[in-house]
Amino acid sequence: MLSPWSYPQKLGCAARRVAITGCGLVTAAGNDLDAFWDAIMSGRCLIGPVRRFSAPGVEPILGAEATLSAAEARPIDLDSDPHRDRCALLALAAARRGLTDASLLGSRSDLQRCGVVVGTTVGEERQVASLNDAWPAKGANAVDATLLSRADNHRLASEIARRHGLRGPVLLSATACASGNAAVAWAYDLVASGETELMLAGGADTLTRLIYCGFSRMGALSKSTCRPFDRRRDGVSFGEGAGFLVLEDLEAARRRGARVYAEVAGYGLSNDAYHLTAPEPHGDGFVRAIRQALALTGTAPDEIDYVSAHGTGTNYNDVAETRAMRAVFGDHARSIPISSIKSMIGHTNGAASAIESVACALAIHHQAIPPTAGLSEPDLECDLDYVPEIGRSLPVNTCLNLAAGFGGLNVCVVLKKVA
Amino acid sequence: MNTTVPIAVTGASVLTALGNSIDALQAALRAGRTSVPRVSNVDAVETRIAGFDATQFVNVRGLRLYNRPTQLAICAAKLALTESGCEGQITGEHLGVVAACTYAHLETLFEYDRSLVVNGLMRTNPTLMPIGIPSSLGAAVALSFGAKALSVTLGDGGASSLDAIGLAARLLAAGRARACLVVSAFTPCQELLLSASRAGLLAPPGDLFVFDRAHCGTAFCEAACALLLERAEDAIARGARLQATLGGQCSTFAAERSEQARALSRAGEVALRLAGIGAGELALVSASASGSPSDDRSEAEALVAVLGRAPVPIMAVKGNLGDSQDAAGLLQTIAAIAALRAGTAAPIRGLVAPEVPGLRYATEELSIRGPHALVTSQASTGACSALVVTGAA
Repeated sequence: MLSPWSYPQKLGCAARRVAITGCGLVTAAGNDLDAFWDAIMSGRCLIGPVRRFSAPGVEPILGAEATLSAAEARPIDLDSDPHRDRCALLALAAARRGLTDASLLGSRSDLQRCGVVVGTTVGEERQVASLNDAWPAKGANAVDATLLSRADNHRLASEIARRHGLRGPVLLSATACASGNAAVAWAYDLVASGETELMLAGGADTLTRLIYCGFSRMGALSKSTCRPFDRRRDGVSFGEGAGFLVLEDLEAARRRGARVYAEVAGYGLSNDAYHLTAPEPHGDGFVRAIRQALALTGTAPDEIDYVSAHGTGTNYNDVAETRAMRAVFGDHARSIPISSIKSMIGHTNGAASAIESVACALAIHHQAIPPTAGLSEPDLECDLDYVPEIGRSLPVNTCLNLAAGFGGLNVCVVLKKVA
Repeated sequence: MNTTVPIAVTGASVLTALGNSIDALQAALRAGRTSVPRVSNVDAVETRIAGFDATQFVNVRGLRLYNRPTQLAICAAKLALTESGCEGQITGEHLGVVAACTYAHLETLFEYDRSLVVNGLMRTNPTLMPIGIPSSLGAAVALSFGAKALSVTLGDGGASSLDAIGLAARLLAAGRARACLVVSAFTPCQELLLSASRAGLLAPPGDLFVFDRAHCGTAFCEAACALLLERAEDAIARGARLQATLGGQCSTFAAERSEQARALSRAGEVALRLAGIGAGELALVSASASGSPSDDRSEAEALVAVLGRAPVPIMAVKGNLGDSQDAAGLLQTIAAIAALRAGTAAPIRGLVAPEVPGLRYATEELSIRGPHALVTSQASTGACSALVVTGAA
């Protein structure tokens, strides 16, 4: 029996080591893991015109749209809820793909102690937009009886749990653009402490006029395609998608003969407490999150083989992140490859760091790292190895995945190869 | 190897229409007073705390830019911090925030998006956008008090704040912060009230009955609450007064309405097991019953399963205050701590004929003995959560 508030200590002391045994994705770079990996390793930018919706004052709308299969866009094994948002469909599809990849789909009769954590920034926003589109003509009569339940982002998690018979913790992480990593961190704790047998952890977000208009007005929306760490970078390009990882006890995974991509070794948390939207300019929050992650996982700085950057392509973020790398790793920072896959699939908000965690797991699995696309004119203030344009094959045993969100939360997840 | 770390409550605050202090709230509950709207159940103004003025509680930078629930949350956090006496003792590097927010951002989101449609981008207030996302409430609290250890937000609907307490306790136990504010606020907005009304979820004005055969719907109400949690040994070392300790928390899920009672009872049983106590040792249950017939029924059935024959008094503050959604679990927890301290369970307002028998509902004020209380909550999506809290000796 567990005692209250028991927790996993450092790697090696935790009750359990936590394996990644399945990955699921829906992204502009593809929904199949191999297709996704090939696309991002080639440095192909998938950001283009978006015509699905309009955003006042934003023209053209550029983004990286995901494509759902016909079955995923209209799942026939669910109740026929006509109000299901695209964000929920993205989440459902990626979660299903993750469980399938882990050879768990439909294979377990007792999932009472298994759960799911979903991260999102905006989540089910379409019902807000559709209500407001109707508001000028209908006023309050545009409000219908389903709004209350449709506005509840917990649906993203509960629909996954309902579909796959999960009866453990079903949780929604609403921690802005660090939500995906926060979900992975939270799920890691629940598995490592033995509170749950298995957790699905990930994130989902779609393209919304709220985000486009908001970032446009802040001057943080790229007018072309985002170019993280490049001298010409002019802001964020958005994408949509979802990413999920199946986390389970390493020993249990081995017993059932599961493929293990990597293990989640632990994580670091910090908060900037600097500004509601801007990152702390010196990267102090990133520094504290990275140092905590390294310390709690017993990882030496020279063990880091790859850093998946938050890398949004805004002037502030990329400089702050670079400064943080220098502060933590000193001169060694120049020899650590760091890249941003947002340069190819856009910034998928609450899904971003979950998708990037999947990319890190694949990097360890394939012993290769993805590049930063569109980086051809280095910025003097961004003077590290950002893996420009094309991926590289190299030994990858340990990855850091960095994420930051509005309001200043930073989450750094450490993934390691399992011997 | 896991490590066990006792977690203590050293600060608690409430802002409600029945009072802005725990003593005032406790007095109102014992007197059977109510703040539930009596004229209209869809008038947002009626659900709110009359005369609330954030500047009377706190002076932080940018306060006026935040929406009403965020201002409420900042004020609640300030009250909890002040009560804990940790200001000046615990620096921002060691302070974290765990917020529960499913709905608090929505009014601003509606306003921002509607302005985009009606007025266009350049005539829309750009400061509304970052406040229109769910993480903003917790981020604003963290920014207001310089909390640099962590700031995370959960959105599990009615189960949010018990889940948030559990998450904060785990993060503290792991040493990721020395103190952690758990905070939430809920302000019903007009759109949600209209939707709930059209879905038939709201009781007619003045007709809120919880656990009663006459229950016919719920009422929404504004509230904000905060707890300041610390590792007990740290709190003792700095000379803080421990108000309570947290015994165990468990989250479960019901896929179907018919599973809700079983899921909630499972959460309660695990929370008790984690706390190392049996149902017979409970002095009190602080239930989440809100007047919703199906939710009240499933909760009562769950409590029958958890408590067995143990005659544990059951209180339900939503009978007085209505449902404050994300903030409700915190409010129930604080009400439980206050009841344990006073040695009395406040009566469930309006409960005359319980629908589910076999439980010791507080149909009148009841004396309670013992330090342990079980707090339960459930969300419309199927999330269930339970927490054991132990009053200070």
